[in-house]
Amino acid sequence: MDRRDFIKTAGGAFLLASSGAYAFRVLTAPSAGWMDVDFTPSGRKWGMVIDMNKCREDCTACLQACREENNVAFVNDDRYDIHWIRKARLQYKEESENPGKSVILLCNHCDNPPCAQVCPVQATYKRHDGIVIVDHHRCIGCRYCMIACPYNARYFNMKESEEWPNKDFPKRSHGVAEACNLCAHRLDAGKMPACVEACARQGCGALYVGDLNDHSSEVSRLIAKSAVKRIRPDLGTEPKVYYIGL
Amino acid sequence: MDIQFESIEGNSWTYRITLIVLAAFTVIGFLATLYVIDKGIWVTGMTNRIPWGVQIVMAVYYIGLSAGSLVISGLYGVFGKLEYKPFARIAVYIAMLFLIAGLLSILTDQGRMDRVFIQPFVHFNLQSMFSINPLLYSGHILICVIYLWALFTERKKTTKVVATLAFGWAFCVHSGTGAIFGFGARMLYESPLLPAAFVAAAMASGTALMIITIVVLFRITNRHVDDALILWLGRFLAIILLVVLYFLFMENAYRVYVVELREAALYYLFGGWHAILFWFGLIIIGCCIPMFILFRNKTGNSVRWVLIASIMVVFGILCERYVIVLPGLMHPPEMFPGMLVTGTGVPEGIAPYSLSVVEVLQALGVFGAIGFLFVWGLKAFKLLPNEAKALV
Repeated sequence: MDRRDFIKTAGGAFLLASSGAYAFRVLTAPSAGWMDVDFTPSGRKWGMVIDMNKCREDCTACLQACREENNVAFVNDDRYDIHWIRKARLQYKEESENPGKSVILLCNHCDNPPCAQVCPVQATYKRHDGIVIVDHHRCIGCRYCMIACPYNARYFNMKESEEWPNKDFPKRSHGVAEACNLCAHRLDAGKMPACVEACARQGCGALYVGDLNDHSSEVSRLIAKSAVKRIRPDLGTEPKVYYIGL
Repeated sequence: MDIQFESIEGNSWTYRITLIVLAAFTVIGFLATLYVIDKGIWVTGMTNRIPWGVQIVMAVYYIGLSAGSLVISGLYGVFGKLEYKPFARIAVYIAMLFLIAGLLSILTDQGRMDRVFIQPFVHFNLQSMFSINPLLYSGHILICVIYLWALFTERKKTTKVVATLAFGWAFCVHSGTGAIFGFGARMLYESPLLPAAFVAAAMASGTALMIITIVVLFRITNRHVDDALILWLGRFLAIILLVVLYFLFMENAYRVYVVELREAALYYLFGGWHAILFWFGLIIIGCCIPMFILFRNKTGNSVRWVLIASIMVVFGILCERYVIVLPGLMHPPEMFPGMLVTGTGVPEGIAPYSLSVVEVLQALGVFGAIGFLFVWGLKAFKLLPNEAKALV
């Protein structure tokens, strides 16, 4: 093949590939109009509001309740410990003497979840009610979702856990990805997530979970009337966890 | 030009001992993998903050090394440089083995290896680079098999078609591998340049490996190869290294220039022992010294020096793969720009990482397995020409 022929062939192949890529984009676009049908009978979209003004610095009731409810393993080694929900401290870099404030971090149940986009087996997916959830029986443990999550909200079951406090919820098995599932099993049964209940029991009431599509719900009301923030909404992930007082 | 292909005798003790050593590596790697399956992934150096380690570094490195066939098949199959035909069989055979090595590394890195053979095919996700890439890799292996068949049966027309297909497919393979990282959300990963940079780095390491293989193999099996063929590959390698350096420069210059990425860029360039690998392993040993050797008239025209430069490049690109995969994970995603996040229970800042013996043994096992297949293949198939002459 001489150079002229090669350029012709390569040009043709490029055109073919780029039109293929365009077709691929159209065919796999996540919100291609006619596909935007919500099959959930309720049409719900679960979201969370965290009022950091009400959260007590020394309280970790939500963390504990989550562990017990979801059998989340704790081996006391920060390299392998799994935290579906965690507390971190924020300080401005310039003011390192300033004690800063704490923040509760968990899966943001993004409307455009990068973790679900990259999952090669669709083990991580977004339910119709907006909950981003992992199918532990399908996950192959490639950990690409942990790379893709911009919120450090995903973990990996590195060890087989012996703990099984809540027999009503499956024991965690090693080799699969983990993240908060907003206690989907409790929401489906008409109950609030374990962290929300625990927070209310402590008298703080800093956590709210509700239907973002229902304008009369507590979360919608709080979002409408307060100065709420989300973490890095500029990434286009559309996180569904809103913060007051962050 | 009439070339006779032969298999080697394979009766010497050196041959047998090489096979035994490589088989032993394979067994060690297999046992290490069984240990990981039994205990869980925590026995490797990986943590919740560093979810990818040596196996992923090696996977992308092996995939890159397969690009030697891209160059040779490009030269012979696409551009009709007949003098490179003697290397076509060995190049394609090596490419096939390295693609298998890449897939093996990825396989042994999974948390649930038992599901890998079913779930990805049943629940294919077209939007995931991790779904697309194994298709590209296994497609490439298939193309290599057909290519080898065409070469062994001396089908000229089929060879040309398959060589062209393999040439284009290899570009997709290396771009796709780059896209696993380049299309990712991490500050030190995200870059549209990365797929192209991966193609360049793959061609550099692939060409260097071909030079090493040809020179060493022809010497120990007492075959003649014209210096001109190796020297031309050396010059080609020098030019590809320039491209590799150009991509490295542009990518890092962009990160240092853009305020948002500056802190991450400075961490990447100066923040830890990966910086030593970057500057000394990749830039000095992997690019600058080999380029000096290859561009300099005296050394660039000596097969011995070209061989030394190639060994440096193969090492340098291994460092490149490491400094792409790991620092990008050690540097945390910026959740609260401008703020310091300190953790309770999770290391929120720069995450620590150290290699573990187990994952190095796993990598050694994969190397042993394909090394065994390579050495065995020399005896089983007619891969090597009786001689390789330059066209005068």
